[in-house]
Amino acid sequence: MAELSDKDIIKKIRNGEINYYSFIVKKYTTSIYRYIERKLFKKDEVDDLVQNVFISFYKAIEKFDERKPIKPYLFQIVQNELKMYYRSQKLTTSLNDNIYLIDDRSQDNNIDDYLSHLNQEERNIFQHINKGYSYEEIGKLFKKPVNTIKSIIRRGRLKIKNIHEKT
Amino acid sequence: MKKLEEKIIKKIYRMEAEKTIGQIISEVSLAILLFLSSSFIFSVIVEILNEQASFDLFDFLRDDFEIIRENFFNNSLIFVQELPQPLIYILIGLLLTIVWLLYVFTKNFNKIKNKLVLIYKFWFK
Repeated sequence: MAELSDKDIIKKIRNGEINYYSFIVKKYTTSIYRYIERKLFKKDEVDDLVQNVFISFYKAIEKFDERKPIKPYLFQIVQNELKMYYRSQKLTTSLNDNIYLIDDRSQDNNIDDYLSHLNQEERNIFQHINKGYSYEEIGKLFKKPVNTIKSIIRRGRLKIKNIHEKT
Repeated sequence: MKKLEEKIIKKIYRMEAEKTIGQIISEVSLAILLFLSSSFIFSVIVEILNEQASFDLFDFLRDDFEIIRENFFNNSLIFVQELPQPLIYILIGLLLTIVWLLYVFTKNFNKIKNKLVLIYKFWFK
């Protein structure tokens, strides 16, 4: 059974042999679980999210291009699930731009420490991002152009990165 | 981790069972409905043709071959013209849908059969 590639497994599932889905689940659950675990604040929700990821993939399996690898596709679903989760928790609006701290559970407790190295304006902006405000909304609140807000955020990120690298 | 994997697989089976059974029920009900409707429409068409005495147009078939040869085309044309057109179109539509449904069912037969066997094994064995 170990000789079966992901492509063959997908073909079998499409042919109605749904028991083969357990191989996909067994193969990728650990990595997905660990990834989501690192991203989430509430550990008890990790299980639900992992389940959602595999159910979403199963639903999309008919449309899935079997020539492509499964893992990136699964992680794309993970990203979407996380986005939906964050949105439901109103933490951030986008995973790509608005997370200002590197996601690492060990750092979660030190957010205030990192923010203390920023000036008042940068700190305020980052706090607004953390509350889920978009760049445009922050620009309006601070009466500054969006590009200026982006520059401030970039500068703040660099400061945090430098501090993180030093510690 | 194993518990989570089992939970996921159980959910997948439950979802698939609901989907497959739902699909079978809807397809079979649709096929029965289409069959009953087409039978009804067919009987109505036959009734109309009987009332119009359109079938008498084919009485010449009992005659000699020469007469059949001479009249077959004309009488058939008249018979076609006397058919209730809207009902015929509806009947053709229904029959085509039944054929399409049968095609889909036979095409997916193996897939559905595999799913049902595996779902049965998972829940009852």
